[in-house]
Amino acid sequence: MRFKKPTSNVPEVDMTPMIDIVFQLIAFFMVITNFEQAKADERVKLPRDPLVEPPKSKAEKELVVNIGFLRDKDGNKTDPTPYVFDGNGDNYTVDLYAPRLRSEAQFFQGEPDTELKDVLVSIRADADVPHGDVTRTVQYAQDAGFERFAFKATQESRP
Amino acid sequence: MKIRGSDKAGEKIEPQMAPMIDVVFQLLIFFMLTLKIIEPEGAVNVNMPSGEPTSSANDPLLTPIKVRLISNESGQLVELLFGGAPKGNGEAAYVALNKEIRDYVDNLQASGAPMDDVEAEIDADPELHWNHTMKAISAVRGHLDTSQNPARVVPLIEKIKFAPPREEGGGTAG
Repeated sequence: MRFKKPTSNVPEVDMTPMIDIVFQLIAFFMVITNFEQAKADERVKLPRDPLVEPPKSKAEKELVVNIGFLRDKDGNKTDPTPYVFDGNGDNYTVDLYAPRLRSEAQFFQGEPDTELKDVLVSIRADADVPHGDVTRTVQYAQDAGFERFAFKATQESRP
Repeated sequence: MKIRGSDKAGEKIEPQMAPMIDVVFQLLIFFMLTLKIIEPEGAVNVNMPSGEPTSSANDPLLTPIKVRLISNESGQLVELLFGGAPKGNGEAAYVALNKEIRDYVDNLQASGAPMDDVEAEIDADPELHWNHTMKAISAVRGHLDTSQNPARVVPLIEKIKFAPPREEGGGTAG
């Protein structure tokens, strides 16, 4: 007597559409993840400007200086004094940041094929930072030997 | 003659999908968690004062453009002066400044003077909030031509510098 071959009761799920979607999602997140702005500090609320446009090419040598206020989770200022946020988690007042700028200048001078006049100092100053603190930062950077400066702003939506 | 494995011909080899799906989901979660919604940023290049007389200072056609921003103690704009003439405060002041700069540049281009040497000097009180300075810089740098789609930036004055810093509390002086 011949028996019918038993069939498996476990249904095979077709994984192909799910993998397609997941790969699409990964590609999407990879594209929109901006690794370039890792030096940007979230506490700095930049001024808005309709004329600024994202740079077409990134400066080869760049020193990013974040000047802003200490804020709580809701974004409210907890200290009226503006600070320069160091990438290592340290905060300096503008005047105490001058020695750091000098050591940054020495660091760039120690790199091969690098001159200070080629280093772009990008200043990310909070919209509420006093004008005098920004100009003093620039002055200290000039004293340290830097020559090129750029001020960052958030692109305002255009009509 | 029997060929080894010939009885397996036609069998479908199914690759193990589970490890790949595990890794792919790990990647997906990583990118989702590290995602930060950051608005696009742009940069404004500004020349700093060197203390040396510029070529425009010696050229009678190119009188230096001076924009003075007077602040109160809380850092808000009290008065905007263009070449000593008051333009008010608030958004209207920047619109008026932009119009003055456009007229200036139009006259200069009509006279055939080179635009490369034109320089604007921003002279702001130290207490003034930075967003006011940036608005003044924006009004000097150019304007948006909204008649085109998408809107195009029409450049006006590329060279902008800051006046030497004023003493704290020295506002209201023109």
